[in-house]
Amino acid sequence: MNKPAPKYRRSFGDLSERALGFWLLLPAALLLGLIALYPVLRLVYTSFFHLRLSEGPQATFVGFANYVQVFADERFWGAFWNTVKIVVITVPGALVVGLLLALVANLPFRIKWPVRLGLLLPWALPLIFVGLIFQWFFDSQYGIVNDLLMRLGLPREYWLIQPTLAFWAICLTLIWKTSSFVALILLAGLQVIPTELYEAAEVDGASRWQGFWRVTLPLLTPAILVALIFRTITAFQTFDIPYAMTRGGPGNSTETLAMYIRTESIDNLDVGYGSALAVVLFVVSLVITIIYLHYVRGGDE
Amino acid sequence: MNFLRSPRVWLWIAAAIVVVNGFFPAVWILFTSLKSEGELTRLPITYWPAQATLQNYLQAFHEQPLARYFFNSVVVGVFSTLLCVGVASLAAYALARLHLPQRGLILSVLVGVSMFPVASLMVPLYQTFNELGLRNNYLALILPYSALSLPVATLTLVSFFSGIPRDLESAAMIDGSTRIGALWRVVMPLAAPGVFTAAILAFVNSWDEFLLASTLLPAKVMRTLPVGIQLYQGEYSFPWPLISAALVVALVPVALIIALFQERVVGGLTQGGVKG
Amino acid sequence: MKKLVWLMAGVLAASLGMAQQTKLRVFVGGQQRPDVLRKILDIYEKRNPGVKVDIEVGGATSDQQQQYLTTVLASRDPSIDVILIDVIRPAQYAAAKWADTLDKYLPGISKVALLKQYLPAYAEADQIGGQLWALPSFADAQFLYYRKDLLEKYGLKPPKTWDELVKETQTILAGEKNPNLNGLGYIGAKAEGTVCTFLLPVWAAGGDVADTNGKLTLTEAQAQNALQFWLDTMDKYKISPPNMAEKAQDVVRQEMQQGRWVFGTLFGYAWARFQNDADSQVKGKIGVVPLPEFAGGRSATCLGGWQWTISNFSRDKAQAYKLVRFLSSAEVSKILAIDASNLPVLPSVYKDPDVLKANPWFADALPVVLTARARPVSARYPEISDAIVSNTNAVLARTKTPEQAAKDILAKLQQIYAGK
Repeated sequence: MNKPAPKYRRSFGDLSERALGFWLLLPAALLLGLIALYPVLRLVYTSFFHLRLSEGPQATFVGFANYVQVFADERFWGAFWNTVKIVVITVPGALVVGLLLALVANLPFRIKWPVRLGLLLPWALPLIFVGLIFQWFFDSQYGIVNDLLMRLGLPREYWLIQPTLAFWAICLTLIWKTSSFVALILLAGLQVIPTELYEAAEVDGASRWQGFWRVTLPLLTPAILVALIFRTITAFQTFDIPYAMTRGGPGNSTETLAMYIRTESIDNLDVGYGSALAVVLFVVSLVITIIYLHYVRGGDE
Repeated sequence: MNFLRSPRVWLWIAAAIVVVNGFFPAVWILFTSLKSEGELTRLPITYWPAQATLQNYLQAFHEQPLARYFFNSVVVGVFSTLLCVGVASLAAYALARLHLPQRGLILSVLVGVSMFPVASLMVPLYQTFNELGLRNNYLALILPYSALSLPVATLTLVSFFSGIPRDLESAAMIDGSTRIGALWRVVMPLAAPGVFTAAILAFVNSWDEFLLASTLLPAKVMRTLPVGIQLYQGEYSFPWPLISAALVVALVPVALIIALFQERVVGGLTQGGVKG
Repeated sequence: MKKLVWLMAGVLAASLGMAQQTKLRVFVGGQQRPDVLRKILDIYEKRNPGVKVDIEVGGATSDQQQQYLTTVLASRDPSIDVILIDVIRPAQYAAAKWADTLDKYLPGISKVALLKQYLPAYAEADQIGGQLWALPSFADAQFLYYRKDLLEKYGLKPPKTWDELVKETQTILAGEKNPNLNGLGYIGAKAEGTVCTFLLPVWAAGGDVADTNGKLTLTEAQAQNALQFWLDTMDKYKISPPNMAEKAQDVVRQEMQQGRWVFGTLFGYAWARFQNDADSQVKGKIGVVPLPEFAGGRSATCLGGWQWTISNFSRDKAQAYKLVRFLSSAEVSKILAIDASNLPVLPSVYKDPDVLKANPWFADALPVVLTARARPVSARYPEISDAIVSNTNAVLARTKTPEQAAKDILAKLQQIYAGK
């Protein structure tokens, strides 16, 4: 796709490509500036202060002390690793499930809406309610999971009060919810792949499987990357589902970083430290995303 | 691998899995909305309501102005989606088509802002909208919602715009169309599935959001559905049947409209676009 | 020049203010019956011409309100004048300077006289460092709910000690042979109520977290005994099912309503549900008594309830104070008791014939609420709560031994009480 600068450049009045770019990007910049600029700057600023409202409203500049404290904080590391595990498990999980869902939804059914709706519904159910519904599903007495397992003659499991099981229950719920997001993006990607390309591939004698690898997947890569980037960012911010399902329990064994940030800043009113934690979360997701973006740009050229 | 040769059967099985996977919690909510609270702690558990009742729906509308909440959610959802997709299309076009030197940086900033947990930004956001006098004004949600969905919408559109052959666009421009005209008449229809996906993502984000809505639009007449639905709770109690009824009211029309719209409108646009 | 303009504007505003109405806004949660409050405020407006009070209704749980108020108050927003807060929060509001002390308006002697009228625990919960920061609106406490019919059937009296409770429960469970009937229900989930679960046996044995001077007094042994007791209810005495770590308060309430618990330690709201819900299987079969004690200890229960406080950012604190005094008066407590079935904050109101006519069970409730004790009063209460809840929940889930959990609780509490 590496073409020379198009000839029609001058046809848009006197606007150079860069000036046009400026005007096209301006609304986005204004919108984000209004919403994000001040809050983000203020968050970073606050993270350099000792500001514990439980000790009073006065803030003292402490430099990087909050950050030093973060790295010595056992509970931070617990929440950090839980978050990383959630990212590592649920992002690929949602991607694979989402891709399968999208492939099925793109099949030529005569009536498309039931499948499309099945694709959309998990995404349309509000997060917090998904958490509460699945908490109920995994309840040891009243949940359908145990009910079904016990009908099959399996023993009762205490899903949400055993750390390992609780963690997997949370991951399954997250994958269920977010594969819908992935599938929505990938389905759109599949819809713009012209059917002629498949026909051409079939004429070439390629099997469906080969067609998938040779035609579908390469053309779907940009959409996959978009889904991957945002799924990763939101996975780092996982809050509502574990909060509703276990509140981080038993003990603090399923606590995520976003939950810990909330505890520090909203419950404990340790605003300075809570801000530092939020900035750390930002930096971690930034590093991961830069790696992805590297691929986006690479794939472009 | 012979079974792959009878695709009809597999088509139906695959479709059934997708439908069951997507529908079961929603169906569970639907059944729950027809139960009485006592049935929820009965053992063995019941699936189909033992005594179906519409009482919960009546009570849901009686206890809270659910229709008003619905209206508020629609207003906020529609306008934030339009704003978001509009702004995102322009930005995505620039990022996909123009040779901008700082493209990577712009993309990083765009994606970067969505990496801060919104909960940590609440105090300054609240102050901003208070200063602007926009508390309890729809704009106090329309603006942040479109901003929050802007990164995902923009990147989705970038990936679609990049896939559209430049020739089609040049053809339109040789015919006397401006660049923006070409974006509107050629690129957008061709990228319809992408535009529509961006719109769904923005709309659903707005439809489900709780934290900002409860903080910036707390007045009773301004509450959106997620905020209103949480009010059926008590300090200790979570009346599932009642809340399920409210959830069904919140979910069904939206899901159906999106699904039908996707089938009719987007299907039509894509086919028309590809042929044209 | 600029100063002069401001001064003139100030004078103008002040003189206009004289002629104009005083506008106040009170904040309450969605679960606090705003409709009844409106009725109460109408009375206030009628008696105080020129004062208009409107209500802002927040989220329906203490957590959601905290989330919202944290944002509003950290932004120093003056739009709210009077706030209804959970009994665990006054110390935090005082420390963050979100509330204004009532001492400014209330001379020392009348303060003592005023606080004497309320249930004793509120003097503890609402005073921080000798200053008064809030006044109670309505009360709440945990009760020991029991099945009158079952105890009668086996010729048993409501237990006075935890040991009696264990034995009675074992007798009834053995006699009933009903696999769906459980013994003692309590809050074990990771939720605020689990703090009370932890504290009940600590108090019953005569201990407490801190003394009245705010010094940590809880010992590791006390904490461990308390945790061991709850673990034993499941594993040793077999009077509670093994999944207590999952049990939120309302699940126990719903199960008890279906006739599936002999005893339950639940807050006051459960009573009305047991008696009035259409699907209740236990109408007329439930009684309440004070919480049991351990030998040589005392009967004590966990104080709940909601407090009126003045926002420090209010522009008219004197008027806000007047309103708070009205809202925490015996007159309003009576209206709340009759119209919203809220437990009164003044012992005298429990004996009011109209109140008793509307809520006959308040006669039984009074001896219980009189034994109520406040959860630790500290600006860092949320951290105390978090340490207690996560460790108690971990013991009930059997991911920590009572010994280890007691150590961890104490370590965290020592750090908090030492101001680190």
